[in-house]
Amino acid sequence: MIEIKNLNVSVEENKILNNLSLTVKTGEVHAITGPNGSGKSTIAHTLAGNPNYIVESGSVNFNNKNLLEMEPTERSLEGLFLAFQYPIEIPGVSNASYLRQILNSHRKHQGLEPIDAAEFLKLLKEKSALLKMPMEMHSRFVNSGFSGGEKKKNEVLQMDLLNPKLIIMDETDSGLDVDALKLTADVVNQMRSEKRSLIIVTHYLRLLEYIKPDYVHIFQNGQIIESGDHTLASRIDKEGYE
Amino acid sequence: MNKNISSIAFKDNNLIIKNSSNSIKIEKSINFDKDNELHIDVSPADQTQRIVLDVDTHDDETFNLKIFLKINENAKLEFLDESTYKGNSNFELITKLEKNACLESYKLNKFNKNKINNFYHDCSLLESSSFKDYIFSNGSKENLNRTTINLNDINSSYLGSGVAISDSTNSNNVVEIRHNAKSSTSDCFFKTVARGNSTISFDGTIFVDNHCSKTISNQVSKGLLIGKESKINLVPKLEIYNDDVQCSHGAASGQPDAKTLFYLTSRGISKTEAEDLYIKGFLSEFFDTIDNAQMMTKAKEYISLNN
Ligand SMILES: Nc1ncnc2c1ncn2[C@@H]1O[C@H](COP(=O)(O)OP(=O)(O)O)[C@@H](O)[C@H]1O
Ligand SMILES: [Mg+2]
Repeated sequence: MIEIKNLNVSVEENKILNNLSLTVKTGEVHAITGPNGSGKSTIAHTLAGNPNYIVESGSVNFNNKNLLEMEPTERSLEGLFLAFQYPIEIPGVSNASYLRQILNSHRKHQGLEPIDAAEFLKLLKEKSALLKMPMEMHSRFVNSGFSGGEKKKNEVLQMDLLNPKLIIMDETDSGLDVDALKLTADVVNQMRSEKRSLIIVTHYLRLLEYIKPDYVHIFQNGQIIESGDHTLASRIDKEGYE
Repeated sequence: MNKNISSIAFKDNNLIIKNSSNSIKIEKSINFDKDNELHIDVSPADQTQRIVLDVDTHDDETFNLKIFLKINENAKLEFLDESTYKGNSNFELITKLEKNACLESYKLNKFNKNKINNFYHDCSLLESSSFKDYIFSNGSKENLNRTTINLNDINSSYLGSGVAISDSTNSNNVVEIRHNAKSSTSDCFFKTVARGNSTISFDGTIFVDNHCSKTISNQVSKGLLIGKESKINLVPKLEIYNDDVQCSHGAASGQPDAKTLFYLTSRGISKTEAEDLYIKGFLSEFFDTIDNAQMMTKAKEYISLNN
């Protein structure tokens, strides 16, 4: 699915990622954990193509394509999805019309007709119910005035709607209460498949109890310092990162 | 008769001014003094009276029109101009609002990129009269909107909003609000979106004369620069000669927030679509100032068509 090789990334002239290499095969679930400021969001944003993150050297192969040459739009249309740690508010644009627009953009890319209003409403009801999101939220402006947890649910909803091949979740669990965390884990577990890969970035590890990842990587100073299976997560939980 | 105007008709309290030949019925109170001048007197009526200016001009002709509009005591009028100006134009409006008169004006115009279009409005308000003014423009080669408001009596009020959305066009917007009597209020809100190599300017002057205590005046102008070559120049000017006033003003322009555009494109929509959503958000604040539902719909349509 994705092969990251010797990646060096800087933000505003500060080098953040240090020769990072990581391969995620199709169907695998990887968790990345590490202290605050270790560069976890930097990986996520670099893969999604945030122009603030400057790739100094290295390569990223995404389904046999050079990911680093692609615009953010193209990365998304090719199946990469980043659930933001800090989702952005868009005033003046209703959540429902926004969700329909992004879905239709993906459908167009796949050669499908735009989804009609009635069909979309049905789909939205179905997907919102999984997360216990009231339909009323979709008539509000995108993320505007949403609580922290509601914003995160809206990210999970978009992830579910767009049916991506590679999901990167950046601290989706922070801001969620226990019930919402469980609902999110259910959606993720439902989406888990042989055809899809996930990179779950977290420093809380709670989510990993519900979603048992295949691999856990510990991140520090822009590097992976240790990798293991999901038992590594419980060890860190007890002993910390040191 | 006016060379440009071929028809003027009164229909259910609406005065329709057209330049294509349809049914014609000229109302007695309207007369052309000389070429291009139209005098209209509006008296109170049970229903809302409306003047609709609906002209569609040729690109090789200059359209000239001057309207003297008097809104008598207690009369209410809506003025709607949805004309498409394909050629050059000079439109001058001189309005007088008597005691308790109300005017709501909506100009939702489309101009030709290569033409010169001028709009001048000089409005004088007497006691407790009010004027709500909405001007939408897509700019042209030279597009001037100049409005002068004379608040000449107590409790007169002006609420003015302007939106200029331009695509490699120019638009100069000049609003001068003169508080010439005490206890008058004005609220002026201007928003602009500049694309391509557009140049947009806004000059907003607030003048408060020395005897005009209890004046309330607000002015906000905001610009969004979309094109790398576009320019926005917002210039608020305050000339206040009385201490007992509440005045505020603010002007800000900048580019769309990069984080927002990244968020939107990361969901698979193009950069242009993302910018359009951003513009929609930027202008949405504006709609809150329109309380007439029908006009709000027209304004939204205008913005989505020109976006
Ligand atoms: N836009 C930015 N400008 C300057 N420094 C940044 C920016 N974004 C991130 N950083 C810095 O990069 C480092 C890694 O940040 P980040 O990837 O967000 O860490 P994490 O997600 O692991 O908490 C931090 O030291 C942070 O201050
Ligand atoms: Mg982070």
